[in-house]
Amino acid sequence: MVMIAIGVVSLLYGALAGPGIKRMAANLLLNNYYFLSLGLIGLFFITAHAVSESGWHTSVQRIAEAMSSFIPIGGVLLLVFFLSGGLHLLYEWTNTEQLDEVLQGKTPYLNEPFFYIRTLVFLAGWSILAYFIRKTSLQLDIDGERKYFNRLRVLSAVFLVFYALSSVISSWDWLMSIDAHWYSTLYGWYVFSSMLAAGIAMLIILLYVLMKMGYMEHVNTEHIHDLGIYLFGFSIFWAYLWFSQYMLIWYANIPEETVYFYDRHLHFSGVFYINLILCFVVPFLALMTRNSKRSFTILIPVSVLVVIGHWFDLYLLIMPGTIGGEASGFGLVEIGTTIGFLGLFALVSFLTLAKAPLAPYKHPFYKESLDYHTHY
Amino acid sequence: MYVSPIREPLVRGGKTYSQITKDILAPMAGRPSVYWYIGISLSVAALLFGAWAIYMTVYVGIGTWGLNKTIGWAWDITNFVWWVGIGHAGTFISAILLLFRQRWRTSINRSAEAMTLIAIMCAGFFPLIHMGRILLGFFIFPYPNTRSLWVNFNSPLLWDVFAITTYFLVSLIFWYVGLIPDIATVRDKAKSKIRKAIYKFLSFGWTGSVRQWTRHETVSLILAGLAAPLVLSVHTIVSFDFATSVIPGWHTTIFPPYFVSGAVFSGFAMVLTLLIVARKALNLEEYITKIHIESMTKVIILTGSIVGIAYITEFFIAWYSGVEYEQYAFLNRAFGPYAWAYWIMMTCNVITPQLFWIKKIRTNMLVVFIISIFVNIGMWFERFVIIVTSLHRDYLPSSWAMYKPTITEVGLYVGTFGLFFTLFLLFIRAFPVVAIAEIKTVLKASTDKPMQQDHE
Amino acid sequence: MNKYLTAYYNDEEDLLEGLNKIQSEGIKVTDVLTPFPVHGLDKVIGLRRSRLSVIAFIGGALGTLIGFFFQAWVFTVDYPLAFGGKPFFAVPSFMPVTFEMAVLLAAYAIVFAYLIHNNLGPGSKNIIYDERITDDRFLILISLEDKADDQIKEVETVLENAGALGITLKV
Repeated sequence: MVMIAIGVVSLLYGALAGPGIKRMAANLLLNNYYFLSLGLIGLFFITAHAVSESGWHTSVQRIAEAMSSFIPIGGVLLLVFFLSGGLHLLYEWTNTEQLDEVLQGKTPYLNEPFFYIRTLVFLAGWSILAYFIRKTSLQLDIDGERKYFNRLRVLSAVFLVFYALSSVISSWDWLMSIDAHWYSTLYGWYVFSSMLAAGIAMLIILLYVLMKMGYMEHVNTEHIHDLGIYLFGFSIFWAYLWFSQYMLIWYANIPEETVYFYDRHLHFSGVFYINLILCFVVPFLALMTRNSKRSFTILIPVSVLVVIGHWFDLYLLIMPGTIGGEASGFGLVEIGTTIGFLGLFALVSFLTLAKAPLAPYKHPFYKESLDYHTHY
Repeated sequence: MYVSPIREPLVRGGKTYSQITKDILAPMAGRPSVYWYIGISLSVAALLFGAWAIYMTVYVGIGTWGLNKTIGWAWDITNFVWWVGIGHAGTFISAILLLFRQRWRTSINRSAEAMTLIAIMCAGFFPLIHMGRILLGFFIFPYPNTRSLWVNFNSPLLWDVFAITTYFLVSLIFWYVGLIPDIATVRDKAKSKIRKAIYKFLSFGWTGSVRQWTRHETVSLILAGLAAPLVLSVHTIVSFDFATSVIPGWHTTIFPPYFVSGAVFSGFAMVLTLLIVARKALNLEEYITKIHIESMTKVIILTGSIVGIAYITEFFIAWYSGVEYEQYAFLNRAFGPYAWAYWIMMTCNVITPQLFWIKKIRTNMLVVFIISIFVNIGMWFERFVIIVTSLHRDYLPSSWAMYKPTITEVGLYVGTFGLFFTLFLLFIRAFPVVAIAEIKTVLKASTDKPMQQDHE
Repeated sequence: MNKYLTAYYNDEEDLLEGLNKIQSEGIKVTDVLTPFPVHGLDKVIGLRRSRLSVIAFIGGALGTLIGFFFQAWVFTVDYPLAFGGKPFFAVPSFMPVTFEMAVLLAAYAIVFAYLIHNNLGPGSKNIIYDERITDDRFLILISLEDKADDQIKEVETVLENAGALGITLKV
């Protein structure tokens, strides 16, 4: 609770003490997007498992639901951010008087009214689906009735289809259009994979915190192992997409595309390599053995590093295009804003966790999850 | 381990362990049915057609093909990518579903892996023959030579050599290691001396000891852990053949995961085509149940939708990029001279898999069979559209040309079908089509009637 | 003289129960042969964790190093050629082949280690104790190296009490 209070205060401090309003804005965007996405990944976790009729996840389901409860809040904050000038500050295509030829060609898509319509559709859609999925999950817990189970599956399928399209398009709108002259068809999936790895890492961290506080006794080593496998696998998947995008642009050497990495190599090379090390090298090497994934000893440090790593990934996606090499840095603004958002995210998550029993007792797959043991 | 009662059983009919052995070994015993003979006659005929086409290509020359100056790749590489894609389903079912602990894979993985091996052979054939001087095919490998020459490690075509070779060798070993315990079952049930001797040799001395089994599971798990990224990497490297270029419609960063999804998509369609027939013909409906077929259709919805999203992304970014060549490439695909191919592709790949959202359609074997064929046709056209439409009209209008396949090229493709079905029909007779030992491990948890004890 | 006792069960659950009884009487079970891997059996028998994964890692590491440094040597030392404007030490280009080599060597290392270590191979002379092991029978094997006849009788009684069937003395 105290940490949360500090967090919210840091947010204000970070916002006011920033050297240059553009840098403050970029940080707000970064953290807002990051934690909103973490919430969305929580929802993705629930829905993907529901649709594939998997059972073991039910023991940690409540944590994912708690993460997803941040979606409406993150969404509102983002909308306020855009409306209160964030959009004009960071996105050069909003500067409609001075658009060059290339950007003029994009105006049927990159114009403010259409942008806001899309943003609203996404944020509203996500929030509504998050609300109904959480509601159905709680209803299922009252009596375990089959109809709620089926409804959960249907809602999950709807969310997954909607999310597939909206996560990709929103990443174009909110992130890719920062470097509006550049484009990459893989971008949407790349950002998704980054958030996915970070989301799992965050879930593991929240699980650890809860278990340290004495809750969640129903979670056994096998569940932790599977979460560790996810972290390992998704980190590799992220690296695969990172490499695909990078190598293809490097290989064809088309200046229109390579300019994106040129600035990043020149002014942000430290972050560039930190990104790779934290998001790929660390989880790959540290989580390779079976035992490393079965206890929190290695899993937690790695999860923390992965969460930090993907923050830097977003940093590389946002900062070069908004602030550029000379003006950016890593200082109080960055740390303050991040702590602020982290505090808010934790506050919302824990409030949600407190509202329902931590184990979905009546879920048809819950008993399977309790007895969950595997042999490899 | 507790299994929730709302789950559907994976093995129907209240089988005992020995019944499982009997049922699965049945297709290998006795004389093959008349349908088998018809099947293999047709496939051998196709194979002979292919042999003639190879003769024409090697003896008369690559000029017997329809390739020309602008369109240097057409049916050859379309077929290559198509076959590699089909091969991916086997590894996906064996390795990735194992890692995701999906028990329904146990009745379909053996035949799917066999399908993978044969598909890789069919695929690998095309790069070899399209080089023209097939007798010098070994040039593609880096071996020390007196000319101090090495292969071009910078080229995706070479990465392909390593990828396909590795994929074939690793799939082979994964398939075989999994097969050893089942070969031992065949050995022990074999009545004739020759049969027993052959399977004894092939079974590598398998005794069923707990040590062998435990280590076998470890090896299977690690091989699955290796094969999963391998299968992703193989089709990724195949996509690099196109994406590393600068041609509009080819150079796009989404190709790697898009190709992989498309591969799993078409691979599962081929598995469905084969198994819907096989389960009826070999009396394995209680092992390859409607649940298995349904689960595969769900994978098709997933991968088909990913492919659909990739299409949408490509169009949009082509417009968004403002690059007129990129924009023309897509307009040409939809409205140019090959538009017919494009629309076949769109109907088959985007619309037909979405029908699987309807449960009635997912569980109707005939409809699933028909849709699976459409998906395979659609995916063939997807590769054709990507390759030929991007090549036939790229930057310089003066270089624009048209392409038509010749009978030789058609013959080569038909020949690979011959190879595929001949080998698959032989596989059915020589090895158990369902993984006997693996099915037995899921029996207790997933049967619909309690097991009766089978004493003698 | 290789004396041993074999006994079987028809079901893996009976097998596990029976084994617990037998081992609690202090009898050392030499081997258990089953038609499919029985979960928990390795723990009951006391099998050590396999080190095959280490072999796989070594194979993979070797493959990575060989793949990467071979390409680097070819392109920077032995015969550097400028391909399409790429630098000689083209790290992104080297990645695919490096990865494939890693997977290939890891896979073959572990399979060969497994086969050799478990005495499996084309010419293997392993004894097949019962042809129904690969079908539906779960066999227990107890080696009786230097047991006297009355001790053998004791073992047989224990096996009977543990529900084992078809207890036979083999030589």
